[in-house]
Amino acid sequence: MHRPMTTETFKLGYNDIHDDVIRSIVKTGPKYYIALATAGGTTLLCFFFPWFYQLYYGIGAAGMNHPGVWGTYLASFIFWIGLSHSGTLLSCVLHLTNSSWRKAMYRSAEAMTLFSLVVAATYVMVHVGRPWFIHWAVPYPNQMELWPNFRSPLMFDVMAIATYITGSTIFIYMGSIPDFAAVRDRTSGWRNTMYTLLSLGWRGTDKEWHRLHWAYTFLAVLIIPLAVSVHSIVSWDFAMSIVPSLHQTIFAPYFVVGAIYSGTAGIVTVMFVLRKSMGFEQYITKLHFDNLGKLLLVLSLIWTYINGVELFTAWYSGTSEEYEALNYKLFGYYSWLYWEMIIFCAVLPMLMFSTRFRTSFVPMLILSIAINIGMYTERFLIIATSLSRQYLPDAWGTYVPSPVEISIMLGSFALFTTLFLVFVKIFPSVSMYEVKETMATPKMEPAAPAAGSPA
Amino acid sequence: MTSNVVGLFHDPESALTAAGQLKGAGFESLEIMSPVPIHGVEEVLGKKKSVIKNFTFMGALIGGISGFALAAGTAIAWPHPVGGRPIITMPPFLIITYELTILFGILATVLGFFISSRLPAFRNRVYVPESAVDKFVVTAPCDDAEHFKRAEAILNDAGAEQVREIGGSDL
Amino acid sequence: MSLFSRFMDGWRKYRKPGYYDEFDYHWTMTIDLDKCTGCEACVTACQAENNIPIVGEEEIAKGREMQWIRVERYWEGEYPNAKLSFIPMMCQHCDAAPCETVCPVGATYHNQDGLNTQIYNRCIGTRACAVYCPYEVRYFNYYDHEWDSPLEQQLNPEVTVRGKGVMEKCTFCIQRIREAKDVAKDDDRRRVQDGDVQPACVQSCPSKALVFGDRKDTESQVYQSMNDPRNYRVLDELNTDSSVFYLKKVDA
Ligand code: SF4
Ligand code: SF4
Repeated sequence: MHRPMTTETFKLGYNDIHDDVIRSIVKTGPKYYIALATAGGTTLLCFFFPWFYQLYYGIGAAGMNHPGVWGTYLASFIFWIGLSHSGTLLSCVLHLTNSSWRKAMYRSAEAMTLFSLVVAATYVMVHVGRPWFIHWAVPYPNQMELWPNFRSPLMFDVMAIATYITGSTIFIYMGSIPDFAAVRDRTSGWRNTMYTLLSLGWRGTDKEWHRLHWAYTFLAVLIIPLAVSVHSIVSWDFAMSIVPSLHQTIFAPYFVVGAIYSGTAGIVTVMFVLRKSMGFEQYITKLHFDNLGKLLLVLSLIWTYINGVELFTAWYSGTSEEYEALNYKLFGYYSWLYWEMIIFCAVLPMLMFSTRFRTSFVPMLILSIAINIGMYTERFLIIATSLSRQYLPDAWGTYVPSPVEISIMLGSFALFTTLFLVFVKIFPSVSMYEVKETMATPKMEPAAPAAGSPA
Repeated sequence: MTSNVVGLFHDPESALTAAGQLKGAGFESLEIMSPVPIHGVEEVLGKKKSVIKNFTFMGALIGGISGFALAAGTAIAWPHPVGGRPIITMPPFLIITYELTILFGILATVLGFFISSRLPAFRNRVYVPESAVDKFVVTAPCDDAEHFKRAEAILNDAGAEQVREIGGSDL
Repeated sequence: MSLFSRFMDGWRKYRKPGYYDEFDYHWTMTIDLDKCTGCEACVTACQAENNIPIVGEEEIAKGREMQWIRVERYWEGEYPNAKLSFIPMMCQHCDAAPCETVCPVGATYHNQDGLNTQIYNRCIGTRACAVYCPYEVRYFNYYDHEWDSPLEQQLNPEVTVRGKGVMEKCTFCIQRIREAKDVAKDDDRRRVQDGDVQPACVQSCPSKALVFGDRKDTESQVYQSMNDPRNYRVLDELNTDSSVFYLKKVDA
């Protein structure tokens, strides 16, 4: 099972990996603190401050109006849920198919899942009109004997996202137990206490490894259908309505593919940043970018296809309301956004047909960001164009986001970054034991005193 | 007086060989500690069966039943006419069932993992910190000094880098 | 055996769709578009009756108007031969209401009168119902609204005022129905008779275009009127099974 990933990592011994990863946790330079302070400050200023303003004055601080009762808050919610769809899902698929190239990157990909979900859950609170009563959407026994309405697609959302957050937290935690144990032995003080608790007394015995392997496999088997269901359910928030151009059967697969697409692009971005900032050049290599690039290319083709199908069915239906919605989408008020989305998500990714493009880091970074901008636009358009053109022409209108909304949207990225920055100092952001596993021998330099061993 | 013999190896193969020889010499409750999961332990120390899959299955089953019971039960507890749909509405309730099946399946898997691997365990146990870095460690409890000597010889023969004695019975 | 049969009975009962034939009343409205002059008296009456906030110019410009009933205007044809038609639009009290199924907390549901009700206290403001309603008749409180000085004197004590973050819409003037039922109960326990209750919009309509009543009472005026050959329901093809019937405008 000791398969080398690339000749580059081959040069490292177990010890080097250990040192590199632990260094990334305990050695904290001023740059990190500057980054953390910036991200934290931006979060406070751009996310929480406008949100509190909105809580105080009412949701009118956002730009939503009569036909456009949903806006960027919901678009961001879908965006963040979508971004969460590559980490854990990809990691599970690659675990089950035993692909070794996942190993260096999956921990941070899973963290991305977790934090995207946290941001998305926060967005639910930002979105609703009375977040102080949000607990009413949770099934708990109460004095009034009032229960939530389980027929509602929004209620499916609550259940699915709660399950998904639980599942991905457990998944990332289980995968990190051996690494926590390894860090525990190298740290002292409060860190030691923390890692002792986190590692649960893990010793790495054969039995523990065996159990971990099976538990991990079963979790992976459970989480794949879960992740698929989560984004299908998010799509049903729209598809279960009877709004023209939202009421589409293709929405569930469309959203799932879109989610994995934007999530994979997000992974490329995060990998790039992690590689540069934490000195993980040896672990995150061209190979990863190449493979992720191929995956992105396939997803982009599927996404383009589904988009085409959506347009075709709308056109072929021939009903006046679908026609109008289609016309509005392609040539109406928001049409420039539509064409931007097509360029970013369908045209530019074609560059990835070239291997040279896939293996160059900076172009991949730029493309991955472009894809995510395009995917955000997609979510925004799904809501804005459809709600603007519904059945009764008297109730047509346009929705334009307000400064508060835009600020909260930008602030959510800062919130995500803050969470991620905290993560890299607590979790070993590269899975030590799995990277070790992929290498040929524990120790490369035979110069080390081998105490006369025959091996 | 009991103690534990601990042999450190720098590759999994010799650790496995040593473990096999110890087992052949009549030592019991052998454990191999390693920084990475090693393959082929089962051939040496015997097949392992894990109960986790039973936990997962039971959890999923209970989750499915309680998911449907939650949705249908709360709907009946306070019939709430909505949209001309029946009180027990199949398609949406099956989605709730599906989600809770998975949720309970996940939680039960974790429970199964904790129970079957005896974690969390914060008491003192035989442990060699090097095993988390790059050493493969074979350990076995020994009844007395003579016993220990025998184990030490076997481990050294198999190419151990180091052999240590850890703790008494309180470990 | 008894347990099983009890279970089966319950199952059959709770699996039965479309239980609205079991309701006590089935309030219905008909709107004769031939008689509607587009005077918007109904809009004003509704505003006064139901404490609908006055949102102000800026909010209207943002498209956040609040009017539980609105008169939609549609033009047909080019200038010399232009034709104008009006259609008052309020909550259609759909029996298969898409807005009800989507509310996660059950703040909107069907009551025993066949009315689509909105429970303001329970509403958490997801606004999903407004998206799901194909008639676009749900209005959201984006702010806490205030009534300028003399106006707060005219608030209807029978109706609550709604705070920020809550959805609202036409209730078929449920407070009047409630009152009529109370009176009927005091008065020898009889059912509410035709003509006992009139919503504000119906009451104020100068051309008597709006008719309101109980559809279960086959003698009622509304029953006669909804069986007029000109009757149709807006967006009937969506199967919302609405309770507001329109009588088509017939061109001479
Ligand atoms: S008209 Fe709209 S708000 Fe009224 S019951 Fe029908 S769907 Fe609901
Ligand atoms: S029935 Fe009452 S609430 Fe509904 S539109 Fe008429 S006046 Fe307004």
